Amino acid sequence: MDLITSWIGNIPEFAVPFALAALGLIITEKSGVLALGAEGLMLVGAVAGIGAYLTFEQNAVALIMAMVAASVVSLLFALMVLVMRINQVISGLVLVFFCQGLSTLFGTLMGWTNQPVPGLGAIALWPLSELPYVGRLFVQNIVVYLTPLIFLMAVWALYRSTPGLRLRAVGENPQASDAAGIPVLGYRLAAIVVGAALIGLAGAFISVLSTKLWIANMTGGRGWIAVALVIFARWSPWKALAGAILFGCIEALIPQLAASGIKLSQYFVFMAPYAITLGVMIWVAIGKRDTSSQPGALGAPFIREERT
Amino acid sequence: MNRRYTLEVRQQMAWPWQALILTVSLILGLLISGAILVWAGVPAGELLNEFVFLTLFDAQSLKAVLFQASPLIMVGLAGCLAFRAKFWNLGLEGQMIFGAIGATAITMWEIGSPAMRLPLMIIAAMVCGLLWSVAPVLLRLKLQVNEIVSTLMLNYIAINFLLHLMYGAWKDPKDAFPYSPKYESFELLPDLANGLSLSIPIAIGTALLVLWFVGISRGGLYLRFVDKSPQVARAVGVPVARTILLAVLFSGALAGLAGLMVAAGQEGRLTHSFYVGYGFSGILIAFLARNNPIAATCAALLIATLFVAGRSLQVFYQIPFAMVQLIQAVLVICVASSDFFIRHRIRRVQVGD
Amino acid sequence: MSKQNAIQLKGVNKTFDGFRALAYADFTARWGEVHALLGENGAGKSSLMNIVAGLYGPEGGSLFIDDNPVKLRGPKEAAKLGIGMVHQHFKLVTPFTVAENILLNLGHIQTSGLYRERLRRVSDDIRAMADRIGFDIDPDAPIHQLSIAEQQRVEILKVLLAGAKVLILDEPTAVLTEEEAERLLTTVRGFAREGAAVILVTHKMNDVLRYADQVTIMRGGRTITSLRPDSVSVDELVRLTVGESTTNADQPSANRTPGEPYLRVSDLTSTGGRRALNGLDLTLNRGEIYGIAGVGGNGQSELANALMGIPEPVQGEMEIIGEGYLADLDADRRRVLGIASIPADRYGSALAGPLSIADNFALGDIHSGRYGPFWYLKTRAIEADAAEAVRQFDVQGVRSLKQKAALLSGGNAQKLVIAREFSRPPRLVLAHSPSRGLDVKATEAVRERLRAARDDGAAVLLISEDLDEVMAMADRIGVMSAGRIVAEFSQPADRQAIGQAMVNHV
Repeated sequence: MDLITSWIGNIPEFAVPFALAALGLIITEKSGVLALGAEGLMLVGAVAGIGAYLTFEQNAVALIMAMVAASVVSLLFALMVLVMRINQVISGLVLVFFCQGLSTLFGTLMGWTNQPVPGLGAIALWPLSELPYVGRLFVQNIVVYLTPLIFLMAVWALYRSTPGLRLRAVGENPQASDAAGIPVLGYRLAAIVVGAALIGLAGAFISVLSTKLWIANMTGGRGWIAVALVIFARWSPWKALAGAILFGCIEALIPQLAASGIKLSQYFVFMAPYAITLGVMIWVAIGKRDTSSQPGALGAPFIREERT
Repeated sequence: MNRRYTLEVRQQMAWPWQALILTVSLILGLLISGAILVWAGVPAGELLNEFVFLTLFDAQSLKAVLFQASPLIMVGLAGCLAFRAKFWNLGLEGQMIFGAIGATAITMWEIGSPAMRLPLMIIAAMVCGLLWSVAPVLLRLKLQVNEIVSTLMLNYIAINFLLHLMYGAWKDPKDAFPYSPKYESFELLPDLANGLSLSIPIAIGTALLVLWFVGISRGGLYLRFVDKSPQVARAVGVPVARTILLAVLFSGALAGLAGLMVAAGQEGRLTHSFYVGYGFSGILIAFLARNNPIAATCAALLIATLFVAGRSLQVFYQIPFAMVQLIQAVLVICVASSDFFIRHRIRRVQVGD
Repeated sequence: MSKQNAIQLKGVNKTFDGFRALAYADFTARWGEVHALLGENGAGKSSLMNIVAGLYGPEGGSLFIDDNPVKLRGPKEAAKLGIGMVHQHFKLVTPFTVAENILLNLGHIQTSGLYRERLRRVSDDIRAMADRIGFDIDPDAPIHQLSIAEQQRVEILKVLLAGAKVLILDEPTAVLTEEEAERLLTTVRGFAREGAAVILVTHKMNDVLRYADQVTIMRGGRTITSLRPDSVSVDELVRLTVGESTTNADQPSANRTPGEPYLRVSDLTSTGGRRALNGLDLTLNRGEIYGIAGVGGNGQSELANALMGIPEPVQGEMEIIGEGYLADLDADRRRVLGIASIPADRYGSALAGPLSIADNFALGDIHSGRYGPFWYLKTRAIEADAAEAVRQFDVQGVRSLKQKAALLSGGNAQKLVIAREFSRPPRLVLAHSPSRGLDVKATEAVRERLRAARDDGAAVLLISEDLDEVMAMADRIGVMSAGRIVAEFSQPADRQAIGQAMVNHV
């Protein structure tokens, strides 16, 4: 039963990157901007996090620099999508490609590849940490504990504040928002940058705190899973968190399966997250044809009608 | 008196002007890339030398460029076809992988006589690539499942399946490395005269085939409607669903064939990472070429030059190969930005009396 | 007692992309009155009011509020000056609640305090205002759960809570049932009695007669006159609004013998949402032009879409006698049968703007195999046919058949559509507002084609909001109102009678 305890204990570590990335995507997409660049921004966050740690030897600094780096890179995306009104799908893809190249380059040229970092120590939440089987759930690093708080803050900001109302209005009906005097592009820019910061944090979590080193393209598609997560969580932060936990469970299972000696090719287990994502998308499409939770204006560039 | 700038959508820009802006943006992109290279440690003087002279004017590297271009042309064409149907086929890598797997299966199970082997491999590659694109297109047509996510997920599934084969059932027993046993000589794409691989004429032939499809066949006309005016398409009687299906399946088949080209042309066996970089390159080539087959061939040649130059940069200046990815992205961003200027006009407007 | 002027517009012009929407229009509305702005579609009413609301800038002419000259820089400024407009297309965020929508609009309210506080304050304000004016609105209801009439009330509340003293309503009763319309107009009249200036943009005669204190009639971008509705007869009002017959073409005589029935529509009703079509019956014979007259918004678009095969949720039967049901025919079959469709939305349903003229034309006859098998498109044959069609149908402005269709002017684009649709001799012609936006010459050309088709034995259905056009073209006229044909006339028809039928059922 060691395996089960081990498995459960690892779930949060695998779930957090999905959760943070999904939350970042939700914030951006709630404003009506289709954000496909998560995979790229996660990589930027990951390499920046490691690089910052190797330079400053402070975890907090590393995580913050990762968020800043991702936000800065997202400005390029904002330029493409908000100013030049380039197709948002292409912009997202190009961003991923750009970030993949950029992050690998930095990692190699600055000599950050494969340099181990110590990560953060785990904090045990006594007495919960003494529980049988699930005890390890409560022995995690501080960012894991912060994640639910971040979610709470984000949900509060989105749903219980006036700027949040305006952001959502911009995503549902930019024409109506514009008529009400809300600066549509301004809100979208803010959404892109804030979302990017969270996605960068997710990436840095993987590199600095989880794997504790940088290898090129180490996110391995997690950014894309986060994109899918957001779609079938129907843009609801709590549902996305639940989905992230689900995927955390699956990913945490992988090392346990290998250790258990079960004769299943590990690669089929690696496939599982993607296959399940696909399955859920199909299931959701069959079940309800209701796209009413999709932000009404998602993906459409906003051009104000001539007002002369 | 207030002066305001407004964004106007241009109706049409004369072709020569478009070409000019496109060229300028490409040059700008190359300049930016050059700057990045210099920052990364390549002496500025060497850049021109490296990129143009050594790569294009040296017979050996020219062959390498053409050789590298063939699979790139194929995935570029695959991208063009799918995108013309407004179908975001991001699963090119997965389709390549299954194409190569299909071809390798023919070799592993020794199907057919040696003379028939290669043609069978080619067919198997196309069929398998096509099959790996069936699910996403049907899901989109019947259930409106977003094809961006579905094709990407299938990519990752394919990648892992390949690893499973490479470390497991199909691993070459002779080594510890994750690749299949070498192909027999009659299973490789042969070299024609002058050391040019067969893959090159195959690629050019495919480009012509795609040109036929989008330019000469009736399907091309339907595809134009689906691409530019899907709403009108339905109203005037274009068989939209059938057109999309055809385009996407064709796209998958081409990607599968590209997989064969890399495996049986370049590597000589199925390896665990042969597909890396081709998927997104195909997408970007299609975008650079505005989905035009001839332009895609040219763009593929450009990217192939980048690939080859990139390899030598790696050898001589220790620039990681990721630089090529970055340069590709920079080029696309510049071209996409130029698109903005082609499509819009900034006009000064006087407001008030 | 003379009331003060609330809003005054003098000599206002406005051109959109070459189209003269307003020509020296004048308008004066006073405090304490319900002032109707009456005219047919395209008369310029909405454009004029959009200027008052700050959405458009006038080109020449001046705007006065309370007799002070004003230059509005945007809708927010207009709102600050107490002008509020409720548009035909509501600007509401559908997933949000009433309170949230109104909170969005009241950006200038500075409350310190939590969001919940603000929301509660707004909800209280909403309830207070709603009670005062007799609306029954739950501030916590999400917009998508409200009926159209209720949503309209939210828009009105929104504008009132922003402090509007001048209330402009753009075609408010177009989307309401008779009961709801009565309630609304009575309420709005109440506002006027309390001192507000209410401007009612409408084309409905009845509303004007029953609720307006003053009416300004517009036609063709000009102000025709302004008077008290009870000072003239209904007939006179109708005459002023629809004008005298201006075309020179004679009306068709009664001597045309209609052929056998070709198209039969039975009980066509809209499913889902608004009941645009309501049990419509119609029989169209060969060799005749059947014109459907009516005020816009009575289901014409839905009828046109359903007949032309454009997706439209309807039930009922549309039968081509001897061939089957229209709904079962795919595009190939339609072409083979010779069904020609000329929709109102040229670039949304008929022509692909970004594609070449040749491409657009090709779809007319491509299914017959005339332009080659699948594997070889005979572009030269297409271009030859297209060139011939361009010549025959006098499509101007074609420098090359490869140029984008979007570059054609409205009239020529329409001629191209007709050229394509008439690639094969048509047996059924469905035309919806075919001369909308066309100049006189192009209009005549289009009408010639329709008449020629009729003379060759085709059944022609002409749906048009231009009464002149219907009068000049149709052999039989059906008046459409509230989703059905309410009256039929044979030529020579009495224009007044038709006008009455159009307005009486509204």
